[in-house]
Amino acid sequence: MDKALYISMTGAKHNMLAQTVHANNLANANTTGFRADLAQARSMPVYNGDGYPSRAYALTENPATDFSQGQLIETGRDLDFAIEGDGFVAVQSLDGREAYTRSASLQITSQGQLVTGNGLPVLGEGGPIFLPPNSKIEIGADGSISTIGDDALELIQPDRIRLVNPDLSQLIKSEDGLFRLENGNAAPVDGEVRLQSGFVEGSNVNTIHEFTEVLSLSRQYELSVKLMKSVEGNSEASARLLQSS
Amino acid sequence: MIQALYVSKTGLSAQDTQLSTISNNLANASTVGYKRDRAVFEDLFYQVQRQPGAQSTQDTQLPSGLQVGTGVRVVGTQKEFTSGSLQVTGNSLDVAINGRGFFQVLTPDGELAYTRNGQFHLNAEGDIVNANGLLLQPGINVPEGTQQLTIGDDGVVSATVSGQVEPQELGQIELADFINPAGLQAVGGNLFRQTAASGDPINGIAGLDGLGAIEQGSLENSNVDIVEEMVNMITTQRVYELNSKVISASDQMLQYISQNL
Repeated sequence: MDKALYISMTGAKHNMLAQTVHANNLANANTTGFRADLAQARSMPVYNGDGYPSRAYALTENPATDFSQGQLIETGRDLDFAIEGDGFVAVQSLDGREAYTRSASLQITSQGQLVTGNGLPVLGEGGPIFLPPNSKIEIGADGSISTIGDDALELIQPDRIRLVNPDLSQLIKSEDGLFRLENGNAAPVDGEVRLQSGFVEGSNVNTIHEFTEVLSLSRQYELSVKLMKSVEGNSEASARLLQSS
Repeated sequence: MIQALYVSKTGLSAQDTQLSTISNNLANASTVGYKRDRAVFEDLFYQVQRQPGAQSTQDTQLPSGLQVGTGVRVVGTQKEFTSGSLQVTGNSLDVAINGRGFFQVLTPDGELAYTRNGQFHLNAEGDIVNANGLLLQPGINVPEGTQQLTIGDDGVVSATVSGQVEPQELGQIELADFINPAGLQAVGGNLFRQTAASGDPINGIAGLDGLGAIEQGSLENSNVDIVEEMVNMITTQRVYELNSKVISASDQMLQYISQNL
């Protein structure tokens, strides 16, 4: 049988993988701060020896993450903020290293520590941020936190949220969905990053685009399967020829 | 089998949870002292099919890899303790907290529960109780023959009893606050219980130490924003539909290959 069967098979298999990437984007169409993954197919030519170079296998990869801004959703909560334009909030991930996220719906633990919605400590200029009890919290446009405590006239400034804006080409999405720098280092603080308090940022998944991709991938998949079918037909035809002689 | 099926399934179940949160919020849109819930979503872990930055040869690296996400999950529902609007009722036993803090009531198991619902009543003994008959803590007893009951900004309850010139001071309503109110456990009946996440209650006098003042004759409305919930309902429904479409697209792919090969 012609090895074209295997080539169509890689096509179908990688269409399925790309389908999963788009399904994941659609599943996260309502996840705050989610950044869509892009998927692209690449040809992997395997031209060995003489003969007609026709062996190019398919390969799906995520070349990058879409970092465009998601829509802002007003919540009016003190501890929600959205980042305007580029920039990330630094959090401490489970392995103790610094990681970055766009999802900034914060909470306070019983110890007064500022954490993200899934419990990762938010980093300030001097590490994790702790807030005094009984306080009303204001988050400023540059990430500075001020609390109005026991005395209404006295504003306390416990810390400033660490906001960074590294080169997007250096950022990769890790397995836990957080972003990290490719070289594993911590990004420097960027004073230019601006926040909007009382808002959260929605997911930047374009559902129409994703769903069109899903449809086009299923058709492409059917084409690959059709090709497998015709390879089978070819091989049947040649078997018949050999039988009749 | 196609992983996309399971990924979309996580999308469907997360939207389902979101919809129940929205419907609970809408059902409680006129519950006094109700605080709206919000479902918090998180993307699930990623599976690395091809490691970005791995060596493709001794001198070159793969510029990009393939990481396939596995869907979404609801990490939790978050109570939003923004204040609701105050509604004036004129009833002397209706009180609202204008700011942070909770009223404390004694539940039948002897534990304290916390509430923002200030619709209080008197029981047969003259004790101040909530609508379910739970005693307000610290307990305040209103004597017989009370003409007028006054609750001050700081929670001091005084009564003008017929035949007496001077008002009689009955006690003071104390408020409790938590460092992380969102960590309280909602137990129904407008009540919350302390958890390890909320921290210990910090008792105080209304209007002091960052606690809100008590407003007599007012009630705090639910903080549910109907328009916001309706918009959330639309997006939830559409995302749900799209995820189910992906399931049927993946199903057709499987069907196609099983019928054609």
